[in-house]
Amino acid sequence: MNAVITLARKEVREAVNSTWLIAYAVLFTLLALGLSYLGERNLGSVGFENFSRTTASLLNLCLLLAPLAALTLGSGAIAGDRERGTLTYLLSQPLDRWELLIGKYLGLAASIALATTLGFGVAGVVIALQTSAMDLGTYLLFLALVLALIVVMTGIGLALSVVSKSRVQALGLAMLVWFVVAFVFDLVLIGMVSATSMHGGGLLAALLLNPIEIVRVLAIIQLEPDLQILGPFGSYLLERVGRTNATVILSAALLMWMALPVTVAAWLFESRED
Amino acid sequence: MEAPLASVRHAVSVRHLSKSYGSTRVLDDVSFDVRPGTCVALLGGNGAGKTTTLKCLLGVVPFQGDIEVEGVPVQSRGKDARRQIGYVPQIPAVGEQDTCSDALSFIAELRSVGADRVGWALRMADLTAQARMKVGELSGGMRQRLALAAALLSDPPVLLLDEPASSLDAQSRRELHEMIARLRGEGRTIILSTHVLDHLERLADQLLILDRGRLAFDGSVGELSSRVRGNRLVVNLNGNSPRDFMQALLVAGIGAERVTSAGLPWEEMLLAASTSDPATQEERS
Repeated sequence: MNAVITLARKEVREAVNSTWLIAYAVLFTLLALGLSYLGERNLGSVGFENFSRTTASLLNLCLLLAPLAALTLGSGAIAGDRERGTLTYLLSQPLDRWELLIGKYLGLAASIALATTLGFGVAGVVIALQTSAMDLGTYLLFLALVLALIVVMTGIGLALSVVSKSRVQALGLAMLVWFVVAFVFDLVLIGMVSATSMHGGGLLAALLLNPIEIVRVLAIIQLEPDLQILGPFGSYLLERVGRTNATVILSAALLMWMALPVTVAAWLFESRED
Repeated sequence: MEAPLASVRHAVSVRHLSKSYGSTRVLDDVSFDVRPGTCVALLGGNGAGKTTTLKCLLGVVPFQGDIEVEGVPVQSRGKDARRQIGYVPQIPAVGEQDTCSDALSFIAELRSVGADRVGWALRMADLTAQARMKVGELSGGMRQRLALAAALLSDPPVLLLDEPASSLDAQSRRELHEMIARLRGEGRTIILSTHVLDHLERLADQLLILDRGRLAFDGSVGELSSRVRGNRLVVNLNGNSPRDFMQALLVAGIGAERVTSAGLPWEEMLLAASTSDPATQEERS
């Protein structure tokens, strides 16, 4: 276990010393502040919005950016070491393959989570100082959901990194996965709903296949009392499944997604000829 | 140092080692033993299987056969076997952005070694003045010394060095050889993969020559010299270049692997001759 902690600490140290982490944190801070400010201006009075509106505005943007950052960085981990020749060197140390993988996974996920929390934290303090209406609980819950999504996507990125022959190939696969889960999945789902009689249960089951959609629906359940934004599916969730049950089902699926990719990555890495 | 599983007669013992990547056989039934406190040179051309042999000794790739390092079976107890080994890769593979001190501290943590060993390792590698320098700013020789220092952090009884001198200038190579000789003098077992043969007769107690994945020779430099003496080929090229002559032999179906130009160093002549089949040697003049 010492090796896992040592490797994770090294990943975090390298991330803190690199410019990407600062750039990512600054980007998130600016987006949080900017979206809040511009949202209020669109309503006619220039100023900062409260937390609930800010989180709602940030939701879609975060569901695009956070997975992109996590997938990209996760994909570079093992493939990058393999390309630089450091993988054999690390494996020559007295540690198991799974320890190397988990150490890198935890370090990467912690680094991206740190940058995200820093960005949101700064924005949260500024908004709290500017607005009277505070909904800190919702804001923190939303942050927790984004962090969970980061953990999932880092695991998927790592699995892609394990199976890729080069860093470029891993990055290409990561971009493809991001494009599918962030854009194509929605379009396919809309098409299927239009073309078939898929409703309610079928739609819920389909959503569980995409961690971004799980986080989106979970966030909406917490943010919107009547789930009108989800249309007939919102009604189905409220009336047939129930808000609590839906939260439990989606949270369980999210936990499964947090465990599955890294488990697959560890299994694949064990059989690699690196 | 961890106690070995059984009484240790050999620092490293390899039995029927075979390794394939896909359909390509890289190592084919290789067996050898290495006595404790000796320096072994693992020789062979590109693709002979030297690096793969080292990877198998480290247990970082699956293989067929049995390997024991200090009595610890690599296949079933790879992690424990790796505790017995310090590995110096061909390209020193520590973080370019890390300082020398940080790079060593990282390896020390991985090997559960106290922080005081970092200072010792820096002194041993004569890098105390460079402790705060980034690894990427070091010269090739300094990086190689740093990699060697990292390998020695946990005081392992066995050292594996993969082509350590390949990217070094003559001065750095001399320094490296002196350091290897000193380590052998301390009683450490050293396995050195190389195709740079200068000073080998002074450094290596045992030569292992790999030829296309098979062990072509296992013995001392003296034994290799005596074996080759009777099989030496003398060729008068009559003004033709060695390359043209090899081509002519190939066309004739004889094979060119036994042909070396007279200007080659004696070590390469030995290597070329030792990896050919003595039964089919012919003298040409």
